[in-house]
Amino acid sequence: MTNFYEKLLEYDLNPYFVFNSNGRIKSFNKEAEFLLNYVSVKELFQLAVDNASKDFGFAQRYIPLKFNKHSYYAILIGYVSEEEIALRLYKVVSNQSNTINSGKLKLVNIFSLIELSKNTTLLNNPIKINEIYDISLPEMKININEFLLCLNDCFKYFENDTEITLKVRMKVGEYEVVNNKKYKIIALEFSANHIIQYNQLLEEKAAKANANVFFSHNKMKVELPIIL
Amino acid sequence: MKKFIAKSEESKKILNIVQVSSALPVNVIIFGEIGVGKKLLAKEILPEAIILDGKFLETSIINNSINIDQYKELIITNIHLVLNKKEFLSNLINIKIVATSKTLLQDIEEQFAIKVEISPIKQRPEDLEEISNIYMKNANEIYNSHISLDSIQTDISENGISLKKSIYKNTLLHSLSDNDINQALESFISKKLDENESYKYFLKIIEIPLLHVAKTKFKSQLQMATKLNLNRITLRKKIEQYFGENHD
Repeated sequence: MTNFYEKLLEYDLNPYFVFNSNGRIKSFNKEAEFLLNYVSVKELFQLAVDNASKDFGFAQRYIPLKFNKHSYYAILIGYVSEEEIALRLYKVVSNQSNTINSGKLKLVNIFSLIELSKNTTLLNNPIKINEIYDISLPEMKININEFLLCLNDCFKYFENDTEITLKVRMKVGEYEVVNNKKYKIIALEFSANHIIQYNQLLEEKAAKANANVFFSHNKMKVELPIIL
Repeated sequence: MKKFIAKSEESKKILNIVQVSSALPVNVIIFGEIGVGKKLLAKEILPEAIILDGKFLETSIINNSINIDQYKELIITNIHLVLNKKEFLSNLINIKIVATSKTLLQDIEEQFAIKVEISPIKQRPEDLEEISNIYMKNANEIYNSHISLDSIQTDISENGISLKKSIYKNTLLHSLSDNDINQALESFISKKLDENESYKYFLKIIEIPLLHVAKTKFKSQLQMATKLNLNRITLRKKIEQYFGENHD
């Protein structure tokens, strides 16, 4: 019977972790393993400790969380001994499939759009931008108008900085499924020397441009499928 | 066709932006003070497009007096003067627009993926020099004169517009012959006589600039009287009359 419950947890769509008192993982499931690609063990342990009940017991917290593309609406913390603490995250489920209106896509060199957005948004701004570009990237189909609006906001976010880095590269081994087809992903990674705050408006703009935007520490990453 | 002058680093960047923009299916808004070259820049993006005033186009759409579907691209000037901007732009969604405005309008910012600000001409000394030289050359050709920029006073309060006006006006004034001045005076006097102006009035028109220039050139009333071959008492009386008693 124990084996049955373990299997149930192992195949659960919601990730769970059990940490020891030092914050090391003692046990986790497949979904949790996947989640670790985007968030550190330390961060998850801290999340569990910060939200655990004062006395031993189980605590449910309805807090919105977002790691990469995955959103969670609640967590459960199991704290029954000084030796271990468990964290379970509850996924926000969406049955919307990833689709793109191909009518608005135009074949374009992404670097010319980056240059255009940078020059218009930071025209007389003395900011230093360290550009690390993989110039071998091919021309791709993009909703130019929406992508520029999103990109403008990205650059505008850093208008008071003195120096930032922008890396543009193709992600290795990662794909996005759009209109039931698998596409490689291009990532534009902005990094600064300060924490970058989550920005819902930018997230909405990115979605209109068929892109995803992620915020983590001092980085802001815009990813979009390479549609050729 | 007149071109947008781009000698300064800023203008070169701007020109580069618009050259890239012209090939893209996005709307552009160009904003800046009067006379900075917004319309010229818009023409660089859409050289074949017709230019319509924003308020005129808004009224025409409301009155159904324009078939907007016939246009694929448009240059719309003074979009800041359009009353209901969002509704106005919703009528133009299938048209590539390059709009000009005095300022960047927050309520319609999202309709323009490319926003270009042109600084006042005084902040672009390289452009100012080039534009001044072009106007000076043209003015000298028209008035058949050889006046240099250093000898005239330019006005950049309204950027290129006032600059052009001041250069042409000063070149014209410098190139006038005695005969031209006589003709101009005769035309002026004829107009003023119709308005029943007196002899005293005409004398004032001539004497004020004469005494003003003489004062600047000769410094003292003694020298002025000598050079103008005028009695010192008469000169003093006139100065008191036109410039007040304590004017020396």
